[in-house]
Amino acid sequence: MSSEAAQPGTPPMDPKRARALWREWTANMETGAATPALRIGIAATFTANPLVPYLGGHLLEAGVQPAIQLGPYHQLFQVCLDHRSHFPGGVDVIVLLWRIEDLMTEEVSAFLHGDPEALGRALGRLSSFGQAVAALRSAFAGTIIVNLPPFPSTLPAHALELSNPGNLGAFHRTITSALVEQLSRIEGVRLLDLDALQRHHGVAGSFDARQWYLYHQPFSDRFLFETGALLGRMIATLRRAPRKCIVLDCDNTLWGGVVGEDGVGGLQIGEDFPGWAYRDFQKLLLRWRQQGILLAIASKNNEADVWEVFEKHSGMALKREHISAWQINWEPKAENIPKIAKALNIGTDSLVFIDDNPMEIDYMRAARPEVHSVLMPEEPADILPAMRVLAAFDRLEITKEDRGRAEMMRAEQQREAALSHLSKEDFLRDLALTVELFPAPPEELDRIAQLINKTNQFNLSTIRRSVDEVRVLAAAPLHRVYGLRVADKFGDYGLTGVAIIERSPAKQRWTIDTLLLSCRVLGRQVETAFLAGLAADALEDGAHELFASFVPSAKNAPAASFLPDHGFTVAEGHAWRAALTSIPPGPPYINLLRPHCETISA
Amino acid sequence: MTTRIESVFSEVLGVPVDKINDSTSPENTSEWDSLQAMNLVVALEEAFDIKLSTKEIVSMRSVGLVRKVLRTKGIADV
Repeated sequence: MSSEAAQPGTPPMDPKRARALWREWTANMETGAATPALRIGIAATFTANPLVPYLGGHLLEAGVQPAIQLGPYHQLFQVCLDHRSHFPGGVDVIVLLWRIEDLMTEEVSAFLHGDPEALGRALGRLSSFGQAVAALRSAFAGTIIVNLPPFPSTLPAHALELSNPGNLGAFHRTITSALVEQLSRIEGVRLLDLDALQRHHGVAGSFDARQWYLYHQPFSDRFLFETGALLGRMIATLRRAPRKCIVLDCDNTLWGGVVGEDGVGGLQIGEDFPGWAYRDFQKLLLRWRQQGILLAIASKNNEADVWEVFEKHSGMALKREHISAWQINWEPKAENIPKIAKALNIGTDSLVFIDDNPMEIDYMRAARPEVHSVLMPEEPADILPAMRVLAAFDRLEITKEDRGRAEMMRAEQQREAALSHLSKEDFLRDLALTVELFPAPPEELDRIAQLINKTNQFNLSTIRRSVDEVRVLAAAPLHRVYGLRVADKFGDYGLTGVAIIERSPAKQRWTIDTLLLSCRVLGRQVETAFLAGLAADALEDGAHELFASFVPSAKNAPAASFLPDHGFTVAEGHAWRAALTSIPPGPPYINLLRPHCETISA
Repeated sequence: MTTRIESVFSEVLGVPVDKINDSTSPENTSEWDSLQAMNLVVALEEAFDIKLSTKEIVSMRSVGLVRKVLRTKGIADV
């Protein structure tokens, strides 16, 4: 499975390399030459030690530098009920690993002996486990990861028994779906799908009987390595802004053949081989688009030829309206790529580039290393299997804003068309902007954390936080986590602004810890309305002044003049202050709503 | 002259190869703990393309004893 951070030129990850990376890193931590950026605690019902270097190696390759502690062997409940004493010094992530054979030993054995009540007892045991995870959730602010159980491999029974087919399978399926159902009711618990991983690699290949009998370690080295890879991918994804757009070549990428030479009728795309391999790739692109990934084209072609394929070829699953931006010309693609990013208002570091020409890929990697460049397989049968495992689009939650992003971009193009006919002031008035400021409810925290982790441009402090950290702040008495929703006559931009406020104990002072706006709503004075709304809340709370910091980053220049433009003066260092009376009111053409203001007090 | 077996031990344990000889054992080498014992089995099987029995694994309490096990499996050049 590809790790997004892997750069060309680094050797492929294998168990030996993962162990070597991990050994080098832990030696540096021991001498104090390196400090971990993330602390992970693992508790397992089996010996999990050999997993540590594999998880560590994969995380290091993904650019996350972790410390990993192992909890005591087979004490999941104890760890859930008292994580602090089992992970001294504290951890950011707790991983709970379990197997059916270990957690419900008696029940599964009785089930195999025909006890009709055994499955019910096993579900009872599972429910106690669910309660323990819920207890951990309420006591632990970090990320919790729990696995779906792999198929049992150390029982006196076998998956392929002819006498009673499906028996153990039914037990495993029932327990697995009950676990998913239970854990989905606990906020912010991530599922590590070891069931799917085992299906991918095979039950027989995942088990090592010698390691089991000697060390109580049931898994094969390969399976542990792949578990480390999957777990590492999950943990790295929690800390990384996702890629937002795929830039596609056309000839031999979206379809087989070259439109300029073969003509529209000579292209391979549709129901027959090899055209349906390309069509399957287009269907994968449409699925990604539905999840919020934008599609763009960078092709060396005559523009009219390309659109003719989109409009006239009946085999195309992709339609012209699915393409959010394009550069179809004979300029170098490394020059076209920034134009696409600019048109979509995103950074080039959120682009993935797919092309069948190895020279284009090499050139892009050299000229634009921040773009994730992927070579299209030459063999049509390899296209779908290679592309659907791209880790570049990993994300742990798909929010409704993601799903709507591609549609919002279309509305944006209409807004821009409207802008070209009007003066800016008229345009803004005509937009009928509505800005709604509200304390973030629990169901919006995923989206809020996503904005915190990916917003680069209009972001005063660029403090990144996991959703679990945000959840803690949302519940803290002196903090407030705000969301901002923006809409205009063309449509709803959704939740596009976040503020985190810390109130001083006597509440006379509000400090803005985080203030950010998605670039989708910049250029409309939404930020002025946002601040005016916060100031109104602060006034109702009894505060007199606002504090804020501007921490310059490589990308947040668009927010640089925000504080001085809005009545703030320098206090010291990065810190600015303003009396509430000097905060300007919101622009007259923005309708500011604060639907919560009567409902919250204290 | 470094033997193949010494290279495997050095790679897995992270110990310089000149510190490894036939008397190297878990008792005198702190790096050879129970975790590394598991990794050693995997690495030896991979390096010599063999499969070790649990009995053989349990008997491998020093580099010399590992060499003896490998010789019984027909690997002379270790």
